[in-house]
Amino acid sequence: MTSRHRAGNDRTDRSRVVVTGIGVFSSIGTGAEEFAAGLRAGRSGSRPITIFDTTGFAYANGCEVAGPDPGRWIRSLDISQLGRAAQFSVAAARMAVEDAGLAEQDLRALRGQISIGTTDGESHDLDQIVAAELATSPEEIDRARARRVPAGRLSVAVAQELGLSNVEAATIATACSAGNYAIGSGFDAIQADEADFALCGGADAMCRKTFTLFYRLGTIAPDCCRPFDIGRKGILTGEGAGVLLLEGLESAQRRGARIYAEVLGYGLNCDAYHQVAPSQDSVARCMELALRNAGVRPTEVDLISAHGTGTKANDITETRAIREVYGENPPRTVSMKSMLGHTMGAASALAAIGCSLALTHGFIPPTINHEQTDPECTIDCVPNAAVEADLRIVQNNGLAFGGNNAVVILGKYQ
Amino acid sequence: MTSVVSRGGNGPHRAVIAGWDVVSPFGVGRKAFSTGLWGGYDPALTQDTAGRQLPDVRDCLVPGFSPREALGAKGTRSMDRVTGLAVTAVGQLIENSGGSGSLELAETTGLVLGTTTGSAQSIMDFTRSSLTAERPFYVDPAVIPNVVMNCAAGQCAIWYRLKGPNATIAAGRTAGLMALRYQRRLLASGRATTMICGAAEECSTARSWLEYHSRGPDPRPIVLGEGCGVLLMRSAVADAPDAGEPLAELLSVQTRVFYDDDPREAVKAAVRALTDAGTDPADVWAVSASQAPGLAGERERAVLAELFGEAALNRLPALPFGDTGAASAVFQVASVLSAAGQLPTAAGRLALVSSVDRDGTAAVALLRLG
Repeated sequence: MTSRHRAGNDRTDRSRVVVTGIGVFSSIGTGAEEFAAGLRAGRSGSRPITIFDTTGFAYANGCEVAGPDPGRWIRSLDISQLGRAAQFSVAAARMAVEDAGLAEQDLRALRGQISIGTTDGESHDLDQIVAAELATSPEEIDRARARRVPAGRLSVAVAQELGLSNVEAATIATACSAGNYAIGSGFDAIQADEADFALCGGADAMCRKTFTLFYRLGTIAPDCCRPFDIGRKGILTGEGAGVLLLEGLESAQRRGARIYAEVLGYGLNCDAYHQVAPSQDSVARCMELALRNAGVRPTEVDLISAHGTGTKANDITETRAIREVYGENPPRTVSMKSMLGHTMGAASALAAIGCSLALTHGFIPPTINHEQTDPECTIDCVPNAAVEADLRIVQNNGLAFGGNNAVVILGKYQ
Repeated sequence: MTSVVSRGGNGPHRAVIAGWDVVSPFGVGRKAFSTGLWGGYDPALTQDTAGRQLPDVRDCLVPGFSPREALGAKGTRSMDRVTGLAVTAVGQLIENSGGSGSLELAETTGLVLGTTTGSAQSIMDFTRSSLTAERPFYVDPAVIPNVVMNCAAGQCAIWYRLKGPNATIAAGRTAGLMALRYQRRLLASGRATTMICGAAEECSTARSWLEYHSRGPDPRPIVLGEGCGVLLMRSAVADAPDAGEPLAELLSVQTRVFYDDDPREAVKAAVRALTDAGTDPADVWAVSASQAPGLAGERERAVLAELFGEAALNRLPALPFGDTGAASAVFQVASVLSAAGQLPTAAGRLALVSSVDRDGTAAVALLRLG
């Protein structure tokens, strides 16, 4: 095992943190194996939206979760008490625990942290409540739906499904970077020895509210999502959940766990600039914070998993920020949103899982739907087809409304 | 298969509270809060008669509050209520922090706000406008930022140029204490040197209806309160010598998940974790119970009385604002901090703040007053 010199950050007394379990619900695959295969194949999750009535919109493609019902993984809780997003988070968490080779009983004696990131919480339920209210009256609101609304449930329900009590269960509601925030929170908790394990990630369900807001901003693509392409026209909204089980390296080694990747560090900052438009310098600064926290030099980074929404503004701002940090020859930079759509709070968690699988299996997920790279976004986005690559360090970007930036650095465990 | 190995724990990172402020149904600012709370004032309760038919719900509002009223016309045209409460409270905190340790608005000053679901009113109004307009996308773009839960935190950062870590924690009534736990980790890991930490909740028609439909059968009328409380937090280690005496030290925050409306074991376990750090329950001078409506709140109070005695539970006046949702725990912390100016015996004493949320989280925070 090589020991890494953590430049500028003496972490020798703190635990190394590794990813030992993965749970995924996405439009391109359920579970780690299928998800990895989907990424490798450059599968597109795009199809016409069915979850809400799209009448009146000129176009409405999205990336809804297909595949098995999350209910199959939910054994303890009453599904009617869980909104769609909570069903995703709970099922993905249980999947991650099983994937890690652990049972609920194993976790009960330990201190845990459960952090699920989200943009919309149960906004789909709120959409339905409004629709019903318009059709009848506020008196007729479905009690079960109303009761499901508080976003904290996405995290608490995970604990309750697994029968855990000695856990901090709080939802991180930092919009489209929330998954990275959650991973960072779990990382800090384990390093600070406040938790022995962390279930962290993100979950969101497709909803009318979010589709409508992006449509109104002129940032919904009419056909597909093409990050960094000169013809890009915006996002496709998506949904799903990605949950990672994190634990200390010592613990993982002791029980012979399979290790997907190591969380090397992360950075957080805030643009304090504009509620929706990103700030290039602030984004660059966040990447620098992450690299410094991880003790990693830019030259050591093999791949960047970009926020890469496929909007005009994001892709230019983000690639410029990347060049600010990495110079004129940055590492290959891909956007998994080309395949998954923008899964909101789940996005950076699903991308972190994608990075972990890429590190494990030695490939780079492609940026699909790519015809011609925008000269203003000068990067190699690994267009259309995955490539084999011996990756050692990957950076995962999450940039959100409100200037909430979170960047996570992952490394091949060695 | 052998399980995850626990390293046991080596003690929490300690942070100090260097300042606090609130926007509450007693008015804007901590002076109004302290005067009202310790003077035993009854805040006004109102019924929103504008187009709704909820006879059993009363609002306990911040009197006369609107974002425009509190903050002026610039930048507030489309600001929603919970964002306005937060921006006002953070502004008060920053303005009033010049005295006891000046707040340096550096790159590393961050903000964490607790919430339940952001502004349910903003979200539902937005969807309603989409469903009732001639075209579903004929919606007001100016309100778009309001429909995401981190709007208030993002706006506070813009208003006061807070470029450090900016987070929003959704955990209902316990959100304020969860936010304290979260920000303490940020301080401990050196990601920030100063954190503003608080929580906010607005009264609204949307919230009233959701709450009305969420409660189990309960004959008591529903009183929903609102406001925002914020704390100025610094790392105890990094506290500069010229920063002035901290108002309190945050010794520990513990949290557990409970089931079936019964937080008693969870609260006991959380308190045990506090005492494992060397605190004798007999030394806790004041205990603030959550006053959560319903069975969970009753049981919480009962177990706190068992652990700490009635005297400790009666040391501080009860908060008269009804159910203030995510703002509740920070109002509780504020009631503890306000004791310093009211009771000479408060200095140096230990106080415990307890919170429960019906979704199943319980949290306790232990403070030592300065």
